[in-house]
Amino acid sequence: MTRYAMVIDTRSCIGCQSCTVACKIQNNLPVDMIYNPVTTVGPTGVFPNLHMAHIPLLCMHCENAPCMDACPTGASQRREDGIVWVEEEKCVGCKSCVMACPYGARVCNHEKGTVQKCDFCFDRVDKGNVPRCVQTCHQKARIFGDLDDETSEVFKLVNGEHAVRLLDELGTKPRVFYIYGLEGQI
Amino acid sequence: MNHKHETWGWMLAVDFFFAGMGGGMLVIAGLADLFLGIGMTSVLGNLLGALCIGLGACLLVLELGRPFQSWRVFMNPKAILTIGAWSMVLAMIAGIIFASFGIGSLPWSDAILARKLFAVVSVIFGLIVATYPGILLARHKSRPFWTGAGIMGLFVVSSLVTGAAAHIISQFVFDAVSSIVKSWQIVDASSSVVLKGLPYLVAGLLILQLILWIGYIWIKLTGTTEREALAAQRWMSGNYAMPFKGGFLFAGTFLPLVLVLLPGNLFKGIGALLVILGGVIMRLLVVYSGQDRTWLPGEQKYRSRLPIGDEAFLKAWK
Amino acid sequence: MNRNVDLEQEGIEIKKSCCYFCHENCGVLAYVKDGKVIAIEGDPEFPTNQGGLCCRGNIALKHLDHPARVNYPQKRIGKKGEGKWETISWDQALSEIAAKLTQIKDESGAEAVATAGGTARTDDWARRRFMNLFGSPNGFHNAHLCWMPTFMIETAICGWSPFDLDMGNSRVIILWGQNPGASGMPAMHHLTELQRKGLKLIVIDPRFTETAAKADLWLPLRPGSDLALALAMLHVIIYEGLADDAFIAENCVGYEELAAHVADFSPEWAAPLTWLSEEQIREVATIYATNKPGNIQWGTALDQQGRTAGAAIHARALLRAVTGNLDAIGSDLLTGPSLDSITEEEMECNEYLTDEQKAKQIGSDKFKLMTWPGYSKIAENTRKVWGKAPTAEWMCEAHPPSVFKAILTGKPYPVRALLVSATNPVSSYGNSKVVLEALRKVEFMVTCDYWMTPTAALSDYVLPIAGALERPTMTAVYGCADFILASQRAIQPMYERRNDYNFWKDLGEKLGQKDMWPWETVEDAYHFKLEPLGYGLDTYDEFVEFYRYHFPEREYNKSKRQGFATPSGKIELYSSVLKDLGYSPLPEYVGPVENEIDHPELAKEYPLVLTTGNGFMPFHHSEQFQIQELRYLRHEPYFQINPDTAAQYSIKEDDWVWIETQRGRMKQKADVTQAVAPRVIVTQRGWWFPEREVVEPDLGGCLESNTNVLTSTRDEDCDPMSGTWANRGLLCKVYKVKDTDGKGGN
Repeated sequence: MTRYAMVIDTRSCIGCQSCTVACKIQNNLPVDMIYNPVTTVGPTGVFPNLHMAHIPLLCMHCENAPCMDACPTGASQRREDGIVWVEEEKCVGCKSCVMACPYGARVCNHEKGTVQKCDFCFDRVDKGNVPRCVQTCHQKARIFGDLDDETSEVFKLVNGEHAVRLLDELGTKPRVFYIYGLEGQI
Repeated sequence: MNHKHETWGWMLAVDFFFAGMGGGMLVIAGLADLFLGIGMTSVLGNLLGALCIGLGACLLVLELGRPFQSWRVFMNPKAILTIGAWSMVLAMIAGIIFASFGIGSLPWSDAILARKLFAVVSVIFGLIVATYPGILLARHKSRPFWTGAGIMGLFVVSSLVTGAAAHIISQFVFDAVSSIVKSWQIVDASSSVVLKGLPYLVAGLLILQLILWIGYIWIKLTGTTEREALAAQRWMSGNYAMPFKGGFLFAGTFLPLVLVLLPGNLFKGIGALLVILGGVIMRLLVVYSGQDRTWLPGEQKYRSRLPIGDEAFLKAWK
Repeated sequence: MNRNVDLEQEGIEIKKSCCYFCHENCGVLAYVKDGKVIAIEGDPEFPTNQGGLCCRGNIALKHLDHPARVNYPQKRIGKKGEGKWETISWDQALSEIAAKLTQIKDESGAEAVATAGGTARTDDWARRRFMNLFGSPNGFHNAHLCWMPTFMIETAICGWSPFDLDMGNSRVIILWGQNPGASGMPAMHHLTELQRKGLKLIVIDPRFTETAAKADLWLPLRPGSDLALALAMLHVIIYEGLADDAFIAENCVGYEELAAHVADFSPEWAAPLTWLSEEQIREVATIYATNKPGNIQWGTALDQQGRTAGAAIHARALLRAVTGNLDAIGSDLLTGPSLDSITEEEMECNEYLTDEQKAKQIGSDKFKLMTWPGYSKIAENTRKVWGKAPTAEWMCEAHPPSVFKAILTGKPYPVRALLVSATNPVSSYGNSKVVLEALRKVEFMVTCDYWMTPTAALSDYVLPIAGALERPTMTAVYGCADFILASQRAIQPMYERRNDYNFWKDLGEKLGQKDMWPWETVEDAYHFKLEPLGYGLDTYDEFVEFYRYHFPEREYNKSKRQGFATPSGKIELYSSVLKDLGYSPLPEYVGPVENEIDHPELAKEYPLVLTTGNGFMPFHHSEQFQIQELRYLRHEPYFQINPDTAAQYSIKEDDWVWIETQRGRMKQKADVTQAVAPRVIVTQRGWWFPEREVVEPDLGGCLESNTNVLTSTRDEDCDPMSGTWANRGLLCKVYKVKDTDGKGGN
C-alpha cells in the first residue's frame, strides 16, 4: 500500500514563494490562480523579542476529504495512494468543493469554468519523481514520500518529530504535516 | 479575478430561495390536499410552487462554470447536491402534474387516487427540496457560520413560511383573475378556507423563525468555537447587522407577524410580501456569510495583499 | 517544466545552463527541441543549488520570450524619451555609434565617453577591454554598493579578500548585513544545513529578516552604526583577553597601534550609538572570539553606508585578524586569483590604457582606493605574491556620482557619451533625480538591455541583448576566485538579440580594434580562458558538459608558504597601503552620514532613521516587475514602519505614505510591523511600473516609489576611500499621502 504524504518543515522555510511560482509554471496556471500560497505569521512579539514563521499551504489530500463528499459530478476523486485530484472533464464549476474545503485549496479557473487544485503532481510522482514544489525548494523544507515506507523521510519525520496537521479538529485527516520551531509555537 | 477567495454568490442564494419557497409551496399544497380536501390551495399556487423550483434550478445551472455540462450534477449519488438536483427535478414534475389536476378541462382531473399519489410525491420531494440546502450548508465544517445542525431548521422554517406566504399571494392573484380562469373549469379554491388558515400558519411559523434565529445567533456567539463566534459577530454588530436586524428580523419577520394577523386582505397581502422579502434577504445573508472560512495562519493577510484583478500590470502584456 | 510538455519525446537535447537572475547563477537544465527551450528545471547535479530553483529561476521561459522584450536594434527618431523608434540593423547601429564615438573622441578625448554597468552576474572584462583599447578610463558599475569596497580594503589589509568561508568546518558565523533568506538561496540552504549540525548563526541587521528569524543571536543595531559596533567588538576582544596572541604575533603588524586606537571604543561608548546594550556587544564579540574557527560573512550593508563605509569595512576585517579567523581551516579563506586559468584581469588589456588616460579617471583625485591610484598599488602587491591582479572592471572604476556630475556640469571635463549596459541607472544609482537629469542631458546614450527601461527610453540607440538561456555563463566571483562554475547556452539568441560580448567586440572592431578580438563567440573566449586548466578539451561546451566546474584543492594557511600580499608580507592591522594613499591606516570613528547626534538640526526636520537597498523576493533590483507571475505575489511597494511610529503619524497598515529626505520624496505603502525598531524606516528598492508608458515625463513611474530618490551622493557623504555613496543610515520623515498629492520624485 502506498500512502503519499508531505511534510512541511517550517523551521527551514524562509517564505521565498519559490514553490508558489514553480507550481504555477508546472501547471501552466493563469496568473491569478495560486495552488500553493506561502503565508507569513509574524513577526510576533514586541521588538526586539520576535519570532516569525512561514506557512506554505496547499491541498491537504485529506483522507476524509470534504471536497469529495461535496462534488455532485464525481469529478473530485481520490486515488488508492491517497492523492485527491479533479477529473477536469467532469467538473462543472459548481464551486461546492471550494465552499467545502476548510483549507481554501480549491481554485476557480475562470478561463475554463472549472475548479482545480494541487494534485501532488501525480504525473511526476507516477514516474518516480517528486512534486515540483518539493524539487524546487532550496531549503529542502518540503518533503514528500510514502507513509507506508518505513525508510522514507516522511515516515521518519511524521513519527519522530512533533508534526501537526492544520485544522485537525475538523476531522479531515490531512496528509500534509507541519513541523514548527519553538516547540510548536507559531 | 478577485483577490478574495472565491465563494458562492447571489445566484445561489436566490436559487436556494426559489427552491425553498417552491418546496414549501408544494408541501403545503400537498398536505392541504391530502388532509383538508381538494382545492384548498389555488391552482396558481400549486403551479407556482413547481415553477419556482424550476426557476431555482435555472439559476443553479447559470451559476456553474460550465453550464452546458450541468447534466453531470446528477451523477454522484453520494453528494447532497446530486440528491438535491434529483429531488428538484422530481418535485417539479410531480408538482406540475399535481397542479394540473386542478384544471377541470384536462381528462385526468377527476382521477382522485392519482391526484393523491402525486400529492404525496410532491410533499416528499418538496420537503427534500425545502430541506436539503440547509443540510448542505450545515455539513460545511469549513464555514463557521453554517456548520452545525441548527441551520437546517432555519432553512426548513423559512421554506415553509415563504411557501405559505406565496400561497396567500397566489390566492389573491388567482381571485383577481378568476373570471378568466372560470372558463377553463379550474376547480375553485375555497378562498375563505385558505385565507382563514394560512395566515395563522404564517404567524406561527414567523414566531418559530424569530425564536430559532435569535437562538441560533446567540448560541453561535457564546456557545461554540471562536471562529463561529467571530462569524456571528458580522450579524450582530458587523456589516450584516443592519440588513439582518432591520431587514430580516424586523421587516421580514416581526412586522409581517403583526400584519398577517390584522383583518383585511391588504394587510395580509403586504405581510406575505414582506415574508417573502425576508426570505430573500435571509438567503442572501447566509450565502454571503460563507465568505467567513476556517482561515489558516497568516492567510487573511496574504490574500488581502494580492491584486484585485483590475490592475494595469495584469492587462499590459496580453 | 510544464506538465503538458512531454520531456521524453524524440529530439530533446538537455543543455546545462544556468539561471542568471542573480549572483548565485544556479544550475538549470534546459530542455531544447528544434531550437526552442520547452522546459527548464533546477540542475540536481549543480553543486550550489542541487536542483533547487527560486521563483525567478522558475519563470525563465516567461522572461525569455516576454512580449515586452526588445528584440531588434532601435534608433531614436523624435525627441529623447518621446518613445518613437526606428528598427535598424545591428550593422547600421554599430556603424553610427562608432562614428559618433569617434567624433566625440576627436573633439573631447576618449575620456568623454563613459560606460555604466550594473550587477552583471558574471564577468564584464569585454567592456573593460573595449574601454581600455578605446582609451577611456571612465567605466563604472554600481560596484561601490556591492562588495568592491570590501574587497579592496580587505585586500589592502591582508593581500586578498577572504571571501571563501569554510563554513563546513566552522563553529560560528556572523552574517553582517546579509539576508540570504531573501536573496541567496543556495547560501541560505547551506547555512540551514550547518545550523542543524551545530553551527551558531549570528545576524547583525536592523531588521528582523527571514534569516534573522532563524538566527541564534540577532543584533538589531541602528542603521549605519556598524562602525561603532565593529570598533567596540575589537575593543572587547583586545581588552578582555580574547585575542589570538599567537596568531597575531606570527602574522600581523600594527597590533599595538590598533590596541591603542580602540582603547576608547568600549561597549559603553558604542551602546548609545548602536542602540544595542553593552551586554549584547560583549556577547557577540565573545561568541565570535571564543567559538573558533568562525566566519564573518560579508553583506552589502556596510558597502552602502557612504562616509562610514570604508572605516566600518576596515574594522570588520580586523576582527578576523585579531581572532585568528583568517586563512585557517573553518575560517575565512583567501582563495587568491585563479592560477590555473586565465583571469578576467588578464583579458582586460589594462596595459593598453596609457598613464595619461588613467590619470583622467573621474573621481580618482577624490576617492583613491577604487580608482587607478589605489588599484595600481594593490595590484602591484598582489602580483608580487599571487602573480596576478584583481579584476580592474569592478575594482578600478570611475566614481559614478562624479561622472553624472560631469555630464551635468562639464566638470572636471565634459562627459558627452554614456554607453549603458546591464543597468537601469535611474533605479539603481544614488540620488535618482540627479541621475535622471544627467540621463536626460547627456549628449549621446546607447543602452544595451532586455527591456525598454526608463534609461533605454531616453537613449539614442537601444540594442537587444540575449539573456540567461541565450548565453554561456561563467561564475568566478568577478574574477577574484580560484574556482570556476560554468554553464552553456541553451539556444542561440532569439530574434536579433546578441550577447553583450559581441556588442563590445563588434563596436571595438568598428573603432579599429579588430586584431584585439580574436574570439568570435563568447564560447571561444571562455575556452581560451579555461584551456590552461589542462582538461584537454576542444570547446567550452565540452568543459560544461563533462566537468561543469573546477575547484582547485583548498590550501589552508597559504600564508605560511607565501606570506600575505601586503608590503610587509603580513596582515597589516595598521595599513600601510591605506596610509600611502593618504587615508587613515586605522579605522577612525565617524557617525552615520545623517544622524541625530552630529546633525541635531537636520534631525528635527527628519526625525526617523532610514535604511534602504535590501533585497527581497521575488524581484532583483529593478528586474522582474514585468513578469506577471512574480508581480502578482508582490504587486505594490511597501516600506516597513514600527507600530509605535505608525501610530504617532496616524499611519495605518496599507496606507500610501510619503517618505522624504533632504534629496526628495517618494511613496510606498505601509507595512506596519514589529520587525524594525521604533524610529526606523526601511524602504523597498527597485520599484518602477513597466506596465505604464515608458516615455517622458513619467517614464514608467521611475521616480514615484523609487527609494534612490532618497539616497545621497554628495562628495562629503561618500566614503573618502572608495567613494561609495550613502544608501543607509540616513534621516527621513514620513507622512500620509493625500489624494491631492502628486506623483513622487519631487
